[in-house]
Amino acid sequence: MACVNETGALTESARKLLTVIRTEAKTVEDIAKEASLPLFKVRSSVRELAENDFLFEKEPAKYMVTFLGNKRLEAME
Amino acid sequence: MTEQITQPEVKSLPRIGSKAPQFEAVTTHGKLKLEDYKGSWLVLFSHPADFTPVCTTEFIGFQNIYPQLREMNTELLGLSIDSVHSHIAWVRNIEQNWGVKIEFPVIADLSMDVAGKFGMIMPEESSTEASRAVFVMDPEQVVRAIIYYPLSTGRNMDEILRLITALQTTDEHGVATPADWKKGDRVIVPPSATQEGAAERMNDESLECKDFYFCTKELK
Repeated sequence: MACVNETGALTESARKLLTVIRTEAKTVEDIAKEASLPLFKVRSSVRELAENDFLFEKEPAKYMVTFLGNKRLEAME
Repeated sequence: MTEQITQPEVKSLPRIGSKAPQFEAVTTHGKLKLEDYKGSWLVLFSHPADFTPVCTTEFIGFQNIYPQLREMNTELLGLSIDSVHSHIAWVRNIEQNWGVKIEFPVIADLSMDVAGKFGMIMPEESSTEASRAVFVMDPEQVVRAIIYYPLSTGRNMDEILRLITALQTTDEHGVATPADWKKGDRVIVPPSATQEGAAERMNDESLECKDFYFCTKELK
């Protein structure tokens, strides 16, 4: 799994991605811009993070962090 | 009684102008789908094997042009018939020995699924390694150019940059590009399809015409 490392902590790119959708649902294009990540990387990470319940589709094509995702972010602070 | 004959499925390889076959693959950046690249140009390239000298020079070359490609809304995606751990070890080795960090993802195509879909295997040369194939896809994931090199010959990075610049120029301005064209050179205006158009073309002062079918112009 590319969004968490061997110890279960979020990878740097997953952390960046989840941070920009912590308070507001955003499109993959907006996430890519704000997190300075390539769009292909954001699309694949969003898919993987959603499969692992770290984010969800709050509105059509707009994603936001889940309670579990937020917990993981807090654990890294 | 008539015997039912089942025809084997004919697998057609991607051609210039066709939609690229979709895939999902394990890469050094996690699982990626081709559709993740929608909206960007993509250079999908294969190499025969990790930890080999020509491929190492190519990886360094591809990484060197990656920033320029990204400025041109173009992504790079490598592929070989190796495991993801082999890829990881090799890109780490490149960084340690050459000081070059490989930033683009590399597909670990052990099942040869992607290589098979794109016709990257040349069985007469090697049935276990991919040849040096390059597929250039546009933001709609249409195959726009294909390059094949044999195992023994490393590819030319300037040519890959030139090719993408030329394709993007064609799309933006509706022109063609002559042999050895580089950005800033004159471009070719498509010939007129009518006699009247051809006559008008010869009087167009914004163009330089040798004859009605050979007119060039500067791009501003």
